[in-house]
Amino acid sequence: MPPVHKDVNPKQRQYEAMVRALSADLYRFAFWLSRSETVAQDLVQETFLRAWKNLDALRDAESAKPWLITILRREHARLYERKRFDTVELDDSVPEDAAFASPERSGDAAQVRDAMLKLPEKYREPLAMQVLGGMSCDEIAEATQQQPGAVMTQLFRARQRLKAMLGGRAAAEGGRT
Amino acid sequence: MNCLDFRRRITAEPRSRDADLLAHRDSCKEGCAPFWQRAQRFEDDVESALAGIPVPDGLADRILLAHATDERRGQVRRRRSWMAMAASVLIAFGGVGLVWRHMDGTSLPALAVAHMPWEMDSLNMTRPMTDAQVEAGFVGRSAHLKGPAPAGVTYVHDCTVGPYPAVHLVTRMNDEPVVALYMPGKMSDADSDFHRDGWDGRQIALSGGTLVVMAQGASRNTMDAVARGWREAIEGPVAPSVGQI
Repeated sequence: MPPVHKDVNPKQRQYEAMVRALSADLYRFAFWLSRSETVAQDLVQETFLRAWKNLDALRDAESAKPWLITILRREHARLYERKRFDTVELDDSVPEDAAFASPERSGDAAQVRDAMLKLPEKYREPLAMQVLGGMSCDEIAEATQQQPGAVMTQLFRARQRLKAMLGGRAAAEGGRT
Repeated sequence: MNCLDFRRRITAEPRSRDADLLAHRDSCKEGCAPFWQRAQRFEDDVESALAGIPVPDGLADRILLAHATDERRGQVRRRRSWMAMAASVLIAFGGVGLVWRHMDGTSLPALAVAHMPWEMDSLNMTRPMTDAQVEAGFVGRSAHLKGPAPAGVTYVHDCTVGPYPAVHLVTRMNDEPVVALYMPGKMSDADSDFHRDGWDGRQIALSGGTLVVMAQGASRNTMDAVARGWREAIEGPVAPSVGQI
């Protein structure tokens, strides 16, 4: 990747560096949020355009990714305000005896992605924020305006759902424990 | 911390380095350490699956291009609005200038100076006019002198200054010709001095009209004396006020 030009102003330099450093992560987060490559690209582009307008609000480099994720979530919510898509919500209740049923290996990446795509948004979103955004429970709680305990429960259930889906398939395929 | 709490926390936050969690993992005899290891492997799989989504080629460059285009469009829009504002200011100044020029061109000093090129010969006359001739000049403009005319009047004629009927007079004092244009009925608000196209002059508001006195290179004393003389001739001698004796 060519270096950023020196005679560009500092704000422009910061912006370009941010785009180059974080656009891929942001795209992946947008994909898991929207489950659509096209929507994800639009979301990322719109997020960075908005980020440029508010770049002065960004205080340090470490908070850039959570900041962008917050903007992207807002853009995603706006998108859904304009156009509501049909979503399939899965059953929230997890059987207690399956609570800690953890497969030894969870199959290949494609299987994990399939399972992830089937997760309801309320589980998929915090999980993506934690795994891709590197955000803690408290940070996710602040960004989503929830209690940390509620976020903890969502993350717990998200992984349990994944394990259940992957474990079930593994068992059907001959069991991989 | 019991095993249930540990497993719940590890399931929600597998990468947590919380000291209590790690202490329980290291001390538990109920299988929490293997659980932790399985959770880490599961998290490895989740991370690699989630992060393995291929990113479209040139995504960053497309974002930067969109940004640059947006910025440039904004610049053009801002430049256009500045240009429109500048044009408005120029038009406003131009309009004000035109109005000022029009007003200035139709002012009494401008009209008086513009009248002079056709009357330059009158400045060279040296033979004094009689009082009757001077009076006749005012009668021609339906005006009458209320006091004696200043001495040394060498020219009197009824003229038109711009749209205004006027009595054109030349008074020679100290061998300096001074022009006086009296426009009966043309009222003005206040006295003012002017310097225009080589002429020094004064516009004087009188009770029945306006007197413009002007000369080329005449001394201030001469101008003052002529102006005072014609004011007293047209309006009558000024009655001495208390303290002026």
